[in-house]
Amino acid sequence: MSTEATTLRVIIAAFTDFLTVAIHTILYERAIYPPTSFLSARKYNLSVRQNRHPKVCEWINDAVSAVETELLKGVVGRVAIVIYTKDNHPVERFMLDVSRFPTVALADLDTPLERTAANGDRLPILPRIDMEEQFRATLSRLASCSSTLKPLPEGCVFNIAVELKQDGQPPLNHPQPWMPVQSAKGDAVGGQLQKKAVPVRSIAAGELLLECWIEEADGAS
Amino acid sequence: MGSRLDEKSKLVRKRIEGHTFEDEQGDEYEGSKFGGFTEYFRRKKIKLQNLDAQLRAQSADKPQIFKGVVCHINGYTQPSLNDLHTLIVQHGGGFIQYLDGKTMVTHIIASNLTPKKKEEFKRYRMVKPAWVVDSVNAGKLLPWDAYRVVDEGVGQKVLGFDNGQVVSQTNKKVQGYKEQTDASWYTSQLKGKSSQTPGGCRKQPSFTQTLTPDEDIEDDDEYPAPEITSSVERAFDQDDMDDTQPSLEEEQLPRDLLEARTEIETPPPTSPPLAPLQGVPVQPGNAAGADTAEQAGGSDSALRPREGSQEPDYTMAIVRDSEMLRSLSPSKLASMSAEEHNALLLSDPRIRKSTVVHPDFLEQYYRESRLHHLSTWKAELKSQLQALAAEKSSSQKTKLKKLPGQRRYIMHVDFDSFFAAVSLKKHPQYKDKPAVVAHGGGSGSEIASCNYPARKFGISNGMWMKRAQDLCPELKILPYDFPGYEEASRKFYDAIMATGGIVQSVSIDEALIDISAICFAESSTDGVKRNEGAVYREQRKADLIAQQLRDEVLEKTGCAVSVGIGGNILLAKVALRKAKPAGQYQLKPEEVLDFIGKLEVEKLPGVAWSIGGKLEEIGIKLVKDIREVSKEKLIGTLGPKTGEKLWDYSRGVDRTEVGDQVIRKSVSAEVNWGVRFENQEQVDEFMHGLCGELNKRLVKERVKGKQLTMKVMRRATDAPRDPPKHLGHGKCDTYNKSLQLGVATNDTDIITKEAIGMMKSFNISPGELRGIGIQMQKLDPIKPGAEGVDIGSQLRLQFKVGQASRPAPVQDDAENAGKSAEDPIQDVVTPEKQRIADVNKPSVPLWPVNPSTPTKKALNMLGTQFVLPTQVDPSVLAELPEDIIAKLAKHVRSTAQPAPLLPGKAEDTPRPTSRVQSPVPAFALPNQSQLDPSILEALPEDVRAEILGFYKSPGNRKRGEQALLPQSPRKLRTLPPIKQPVKRKRGGGLFAGRARSNLNSGDNSTLTQSNFVARPLAPKHLQEDGGATTTDTEAEPEELDPEFLAALPDDLRKEVLDQQRQARLQRTGGIDLSLHQRSKARKKKAPDEEGPLDRLLQLPPRPAKPTFTMRKLTELPDLRNAVKAWYQEFLDEGPYEEDVAALVKYLSDVVVEERDMAKAVAVVKWLAWVVEEREEGLGERVHAAWQQAVEAVKEGVQSAVQDRALGSVDLA
Repeated sequence: MSTEATTLRVIIAAFTDFLTVAIHTILYERAIYPPTSFLSARKYNLSVRQNRHPKVCEWINDAVSAVETELLKGVVGRVAIVIYTKDNHPVERFMLDVSRFPTVALADLDTPLERTAANGDRLPILPRIDMEEQFRATLSRLASCSSTLKPLPEGCVFNIAVELKQDGQPPLNHPQPWMPVQSAKGDAVGGQLQKKAVPVRSIAAGELLLECWIEEADGAS
Repeated sequence: MGSRLDEKSKLVRKRIEGHTFEDEQGDEYEGSKFGGFTEYFRRKKIKLQNLDAQLRAQSADKPQIFKGVVCHINGYTQPSLNDLHTLIVQHGGGFIQYLDGKTMVTHIIASNLTPKKKEEFKRYRMVKPAWVVDSVNAGKLLPWDAYRVVDEGVGQKVLGFDNGQVVSQTNKKVQGYKEQTDASWYTSQLKGKSSQTPGGCRKQPSFTQTLTPDEDIEDDDEYPAPEITSSVERAFDQDDMDDTQPSLEEEQLPRDLLEARTEIETPPPTSPPLAPLQGVPVQPGNAAGADTAEQAGGSDSALRPREGSQEPDYTMAIVRDSEMLRSLSPSKLASMSAEEHNALLLSDPRIRKSTVVHPDFLEQYYRESRLHHLSTWKAELKSQLQALAAEKSSSQKTKLKKLPGQRRYIMHVDFDSFFAAVSLKKHPQYKDKPAVVAHGGGSGSEIASCNYPARKFGISNGMWMKRAQDLCPELKILPYDFPGYEEASRKFYDAIMATGGIVQSVSIDEALIDISAICFAESSTDGVKRNEGAVYREQRKADLIAQQLRDEVLEKTGCAVSVGIGGNILLAKVALRKAKPAGQYQLKPEEVLDFIGKLEVEKLPGVAWSIGGKLEEIGIKLVKDIREVSKEKLIGTLGPKTGEKLWDYSRGVDRTEVGDQVIRKSVSAEVNWGVRFENQEQVDEFMHGLCGELNKRLVKERVKGKQLTMKVMRRATDAPRDPPKHLGHGKCDTYNKSLQLGVATNDTDIITKEAIGMMKSFNISPGELRGIGIQMQKLDPIKPGAEGVDIGSQLRLQFKVGQASRPAPVQDDAENAGKSAEDPIQDVVTPEKQRIADVNKPSVPLWPVNPSTPTKKALNMLGTQFVLPTQVDPSVLAELPEDIIAKLAKHVRSTAQPAPLLPGKAEDTPRPTSRVQSPVPAFALPNQSQLDPSILEALPEDVRAEILGFYKSPGNRKRGEQALLPQSPRKLRTLPPIKQPVKRKRGGGLFAGRARSNLNSGDNSTLTQSNFVARPLAPKHLQEDGGATTTDTEAEPEELDPEFLAALPDDLRKEVLDQQRQARLQRTGGIDLSLHQRSKARKKKAPDEEGPLDRLLQLPPRPAKPTFTMRKLTELPDLRNAVKAWYQEFLDEGPYEEDVAALVKYLSDVVVEERDMAKAVAVVKWLAWVVEEREEGLGERVHAAWQQAVEAVKEGVQSAVQDRALGSVDLA
């Protein structure tokens, strides 16, 4: 792997891997699906949970590939895993700030990236070991988020949302994987609500810069 | 005696005998000193001898039988050690309590020994306690060897001295405590008392029976036991008869009196009455027989009550009567070897005559076996019927096709008490009186058939005469009239055949007829349609046929038959019950269920008390009860076959068809009566005869066998030498052995050779043999032909004696079927199994793989090696390599097949893109090194893997080489050459499927624009695969040429890129553990693909991370340390505003720029904690200042977070 030239595609692939695991973990931790429907699996040398329902897996994979599509375009600011109550009020958002991913032209998606330090040394673009370690740390933080979060009401559902960068063009084509939403006050979802942020962890592995936090709707919704 | 070993015991004996006891003044009565154990023990033994001496002196009146005997007792005995000791000493013996050496004593008494001791004392006189007791009782010293404890094992014969003669004895079985308890002194004491009880009375009559016939002729004559089976007994009877009925026998039977007598008087069940020999009139004998029977019947009332169980005694008596046997005591008989015993037995010429050693035994045996006759005759009748039926029904069966749901009319025709009815024809005066057919008036004879008046008395078939006569004293007993039976049966069958239905003979007096066709002809329907009138007409016709049949049989034979008509065999049989006697009954479909339901289960055919008992356990008494029970339960109770059959039966369903023939599966010859051999030569000779018999039967059945099975009955070790039934086999162990002959044969010599070999391999001593049977299985029919001539002549030779003098077939009815178990000859007819498909056929037809070398080609070019099919599947042909196609084409053309079948090169032009004709041959793959890597690269991944896998596969090479091997032409002839999995596998996986899809894709309208655009990049011949690629998500995405892209219009380029990205996403969008599978191979490929694009994208320099203080701290631990240091530094005076502002600035930067909210929060929390910890001695003021600083920092961070529109952050 280390010999492999790191392109943006590789970085994004690494991120989407993580995103998939994170979604599964969140679904398990927030009990969106019954715990019995989760398998124990291993990723990043960490015991994680994976939903075994083929439809759920399929949905997540589809959603993640849709996210990946947008990521490759370089227009995504944040990825959010939003948890709604039965009556469609968002209660929690698991935010992943990906706005600091390197931006390259579409043609250069598969061009290996290079960064040189001030002294001319080549810096690692994607130090795998470091990355996995940070992913692991983030996942274990996520896995313990339930202790700090308020318990969810019955029958919550989840969704995946992306917040585009300021200049990002919304993906309006057919078929349409995304539902465009106008941000209210610069916020994608539920901007009006009082919310509380719970920092999870930041990841800085080479060019993979990522911040993860949880937004919890404050007060009874 | 007198050996060196005896010396010591002699000394001991003398010492003991010389031992006297005066008083207790001897030195042995002194106190022993300390440590003087030896002294003590010596004294103890002397004192014990003192006791013995005193005892001996007191019992001087007893016989001194044990004089000279010194005994020691080992272990537990009965009687006890003390009793034995006293007995021995009282009778003059010496007794040693402590055995100092084995030779000290003459005898050691023990009832059982441990194996170790057995070995230790093997060479000494170990006797059982019974020796002492018996000797005392007998008043003399009995030879000790009859009471050995240790013997030489069963196999070792020992010499015994008996009355001055040296005899060889077999060793008795080693017995354990059981014997001791059974035969012990105490047990005998107990038994002595209980033997007075009435239980022993059974033995009493036997004493009268053991009287010799010379003295008790009358007695024997009055009790003609049915078990008298041999000529020996007949010989005795003959003697008797000479006295009682000389005139009758001698006048009327001017032939061998012995045999004649048997026929008339007491035909035993296992030995048939002799049929008339050539030229001898039968009738007088029969008449006389009848008279005798009547006489016997008349005198029956005068008979003393006699138990059937007395027969063994009787036969034993006969055995004992033999002078030779009589001269021997029973104990001597027991001590003889089996061969000696047999020799002794056979030394009586009369007995000898009836055993296997007699040269004519087999012939006589088969001639006299009545059941053999019955079965033979029935078999003959059946084969005749089959022939007849085959002739007739070949036309009928074609005419009558079995339609589903068709009505059937089956008639079951049965004589009413066949034997009785036929016999009564000769004695019409008894027609209305109770009469039975039996062997004779003897109380032990069995009733073969009884007429209806007799049945009114409760007499039934198979009943013992004794009981029948109790029920009806004036019962008339009729003799068998075998010729009459046969004649009646023939007429019966003639009449049945005349009905024109499909006939199946059940037995000589019963038959099943399928008359459906006739009935349908009458109603002119197909028997399926429900038409009231037609059904009625059919039923009427069936009744009519039955009536006609009955009339005809009555007219021809003078006997009444009953007919049951039903929709299947079961119903016909059930209906017959109602029809009897002399009637007919048709069970109509609408009343079937009621009728059957009311029956008791045991009335169903094939159900008797055994199954009935089982059914009663689950609460089934009537047939309708069965319907209540689930099939599973029934099957659980009765087993799958019977259970299902009964379940069907209870619903009136019976699937057997009239005319279903059981095919003979084996032919056997078996003798288990009169088997007594003296030596091996006799066995071999007998085997020869038996094999000859088997050969005869095989020839008669026109079959040859491939497997020879031998069954040997050996006398059970615990069975007496003379079984209860005279010369019968008694209790036996049965051994079986089979041999594959390889080639089907019926040759006597071969069979004999093998049979004798097998017999030897059993290693059974000839004297122990009690029955031998040989059976031929895996039968092949003999084809009539050149062989047939040979066999025909053999037939005549073989049957010169047996067949010509063969008596008119005798027969029995169903009542005797139960006895067939005793039939010494059993023709086992088992239904033949379905023949399995020929296993020798190769399951995978071989086909030479395409030759790639000239030599191989040359081999194939011969073209004569294979049988080419006349019908060629074009699709298969199309995929064959060209040279084979060419060869086939030649062949096919020669057989006038149209050329279009062959996809020759000529077709290349019209379909240039067809995969079939693609330059890559399906067969001859080039060497791996010849493969164009670029082409390989461009291939879809699965296809590429397959190609490479094919090169790797070792089996493939091999297969190719195998084609080189010269193949047996014989094998090849059977091969269907056009099917060849080898080729299919290769061609099919790689191209066959594509070829098929290509046929459609020629004008494929489903191709999308983007694909079309993408394709120019693919290698030329891949284009044809476009259709497959669009659908194949795993297909390798083509590398897009940037120049090409650049040349495209914007929107088109975007679409192309999207398309490509989409494809990639689909492969990469999951994680390994998810269901989404990512192709590792593809990942590996990535660098290769990008290899040519040797350029790097230099990333723009990143904005520097915000740092804290001059040391440029960024990491959390450093920040914490710095915060802590800061706090401690300004412990006294509180934080400076600038410092707090700097921290707030930094943390805000962290949140906003570094976007590490977690770090900022952690620093804030750290600071709060540090402040709250509060060093001792910290002033209130300073602390408040610090708290203010914390609040300021918190506020700063909070506002930074809010700047990012993240709401508030929890900093507590």
